Amino acid sequence: MHIITLLLSALFIPTAIAAGSATTGSDPETGLAFWRYEAEGILFELNQRLPDQTRAFFQARGFDTDAANQFATSCVFQSRLLNTAVAGGASLQFNLDEWRVISGNKSSSMATTDDWMSRWKKQSIGQAARIAFKWSLLPTEQTYAPGDYNWGMTSYGQPPGTRFNLTLVWHREGKHESATIRNIECPADSPQETP
Amino acid sequence: MSIPMIRRQLFATLLLLCTLLFQPVQAAGTSQLLQALPDLPKAGDFHLTDLDGTEHRLSSYRGRVVIVNFWATWCPPCREEMPSMQRAWELLEPEGVVMLAINIGEDEDTIFQFTANFPVEFPLLLDQDSATIQSWPVRGLPTTYVVDPQGRLAYRAIGGRAWDDPALLNMVRALK
Repeated sequence: MHIITLLLSALFIPTAIAAGSATTGSDPETGLAFWRYEAEGILFELNQRLPDQTRAFFQARGFDTDAANQFATSCVFQSRLLNTAVAGGASLQFNLDEWRVISGNKSSSMATTDDWMSRWKKQSIGQAARIAFKWSLLPTEQTYAPGDYNWGMTSYGQPPGTRFNLTLVWHREGKHESATIRNIECPADSPQETP
Repeated sequence: MSIPMIRRQLFATLLLLCTLLFQPVQAAGTSQLLQALPDLPKAGDFHLTDLDGTEHRLSSYRGRVVIVNFWATWCPPCREEMPSMQRAWELLEPEGVVMLAINIGEDEDTIFQFTANFPVEFPLLLDQDSATIQSWPVRGLPTTYVVDPQGRLAYRAIGGRAWDDPALLNMVRALK
């Protein structure tokens, strides 16, 4: 009886944080690749965005060709980050300034919203275009309650077709956690037509 | 004990284990409710115009529960939650709850075209210069706050929700 009680009790004790897993694949409709990292309480997903898609999105919102091209060719992904903890679970904090992009022997930080916004201001990009840009990127910092999430573009400052590793960092209940997604591939660019 | 009985017991044990193991995954799918804000910060007042030209001042709704949603037409989770917001509004509007969806940075034509595919009857407000969203504690779209009758931020949801989820509707109703 004692053993059975112990076994049943063990089933209800929260397990230690499980090692996460990274997976990759491609969208059957578009052929575009995705990478996904999942661990207890967190899911992060990167979906390739073709530079043409990104150029078209921002040109339709007031960016000139040159500015749209600068961003579109900076290795842009559609991203999704979720706190997958159950209701009543821990909140999750992140700051993209802590994340690292590792390509070859070089480690660099991500280009986040503020970096791009100061660039657009210097280039006199209009206010409406800057507003659309700001809100279409994944927020640089957030605190998610269980069930909270954001979608948004992220850029990694690498040329089209480059492969890199990404170290994610997040905080939960005062603990610093990190994981690395390996061999992510920046979307390739199609040759641009010259006028 | 006969072999069929052992098999049945083994099956029952496996079923119990599977239920326990997958419980967190199922729960994760139903945990997207609203985050209570224990400090109840005061909601920043705004004065915005909707698609019909009607002006809305948040403070004029004092005494009523107000759902304030920040969104844009190009934002996938914003689009996804719109139909459930409409269903929620159909249930809550007769009970006196106000729902205001504040569009960020887009013009009337763009929003009008959007409503052809996503017909909604609650007011869609224009924050073209993004002054209102920047004065609220919002970092990404969609973000929704539920303002209590005293004009305080009672709940927050970052990301889309199934707004017609009965559990979520009851959280809103409980503020009245």
